[in-house]
Amino acid sequence: MANEDKIICEHISKEFIQKGKQRVRVLEDISLEVKQNEFLVILGPGQAGKSTLLRIIAGLETPTQGRVLVDGREVKGAGSDRGLVFQSYMLFPWKTVTGNVELGPKLRGMSNKERRKITQHYINLVGLQNFEKHYPHQLSGGMKQRVGIARAYANNPEVMLLDEPFGQLDAQTRYYMEKETTRIWETEKRTVIFVTNNIDEAIYLGDRIFSLKGKLPGRMHQVYPVGLPRPREHTDMKFLELRHQITEASDLTL
Amino acid sequence: MTSVANEIHIRARERAPFSVMIILKSRWFLYAVSLTAFFLIWDYVAVSRILGSAMARPYEVAVQLNTMMTDPLAGKSLFGHIWASTQRILIGFAIGAALATPLGLLMALNRHISAVVKPLFDLIKPMPPIAWISIAILWFGIGEPSKVFIIVIGTFVPCLLNSYNGVRLIDPQLYDVVRMLGGNRGDEILHVCFPAAFPAIFAGLQISLSSAWSCVLAAELVSARSGLGFITLLGMTLSRPALILGGMVVIAVVAWVTTLLVTGLEKILCPWKRGVIDI
Repeated sequence: MANEDKIICEHISKEFIQKGKQRVRVLEDISLEVKQNEFLVILGPGQAGKSTLLRIIAGLETPTQGRVLVDGREVKGAGSDRGLVFQSYMLFPWKTVTGNVELGPKLRGMSNKERRKITQHYINLVGLQNFEKHYPHQLSGGMKQRVGIARAYANNPEVMLLDEPFGQLDAQTRYYMEKETTRIWETEKRTVIFVTNNIDEAIYLGDRIFSLKGKLPGRMHQVYPVGLPRPREHTDMKFLELRHQITEASDLTL
Repeated sequence: MTSVANEIHIRARERAPFSVMIILKSRWFLYAVSLTAFFLIWDYVAVSRILGSAMARPYEVAVQLNTMMTDPLAGKSLFGHIWASTQRILIGFAIGAALATPLGLLMALNRHISAVVKPLFDLIKPMPPIAWISIAILWFGIGEPSKVFIIVIGTFVPCLLNSYNGVRLIDPQLYDVVRMLGGNRGDEILHVCFPAAFPAIFAGLQISLSSAWSCVLAAELVSARSGLGFITLLGMTLSRPALILGGMVVIAVVAWVTTLLVTGLEKILCPWKRGVIDI
């Protein structure tokens, strides 16, 4: 099982129709595979169609051409086998931390007792114990995204999709959250697709980095395996070498 | 387990040492200054007779109100008149809100309903509710129904607009969250539409309420034997400025109290808004 492809994207292209009839191509012929429990990072500059690609895998957008397979089945619409973490958190302001995290199990009709247990487990996993009754507006950005991660995890998805989850955080919190992400992923392994525009974040987190060429439409650029042992250090020689290699090859540095 | 303490900001208010400047700059002191100045100028205007005899002193207004509490005016004490106006508002407001809020939600959720209702609504929307008074009296007579009708019209427009926009302005990604967690359309409405639209609906109720007060006063000025609008009109006919001003003060106080009640209700029903809006 371990070496089988969990997610397969076959020749995905996506066009949006803007202002009535103008066609905009955002993705062109993207093919990728993600292995079971692999941490894949999709790296690309802004406006490279990264988020669109993730939303297609999530089933929130339909590709114009190509298809997405999860466990060999074609993705048709959103589903609870995939969990999505949003760049802008997208917490429900009217629900407490617990209320947000327990929504998935609740929608699937889980019994109260079991739901409580799972909810508390994931709140603890992301380190938010004692904040159960807080509303999102009472939390800092990093804490909000912890809730977002716990909410996705609590629904027990096989695949976690994270869309630039730390894009709104300050550098220090971001670094800290990257460490936390590694810790959480190592505690409860899932197949992860993590979208970012940050090279350091990509190398720090990914088993493999799939980079997109800048400017629309987004096309596949290169795939970098990151063979570094965890926990990784930003100042490690091999880390820096890979960083250099990716920077040289990409047009991220605009 | 990792601590998140490094992400929490505790904002402690630092206490400045006590001084006269602190009192002079204090909000409460300035409130007092502003109100005192207002009453002094009012009293001066009344005493100096700049406006002839058409201005009453604040003191006279207070005496007038005090007399009205016990001595009936046109068959009703002050509280009788307050209740007459409030009752009209409550009935009209309840009917208007009960009709408009669900309709606004339905319009936002279903584009066919929206397509049917919107052109008619856009036709009524710009018309001031008071413009309906004459036709309302022709239709329903000079009794209670015509007044309630005006209030229903005045309440209807802001209620519908707010519940409609409350749903329309929801970030569509919140629906994505529910769908990704395995929810269906019903779950989206229950977990996103209703709670998200709640604050907007309450804002609509607040606007409706002040609109309802304008409507009831206008209706009472046209034809009534009771109510706060009637009191002010009576003051005009009898040339008693104290009665008019007294009526105005009472209107302000009662309208303020009803607004507070709606705000209080919102605080109870929308606990997540607590501490978000602080004026």
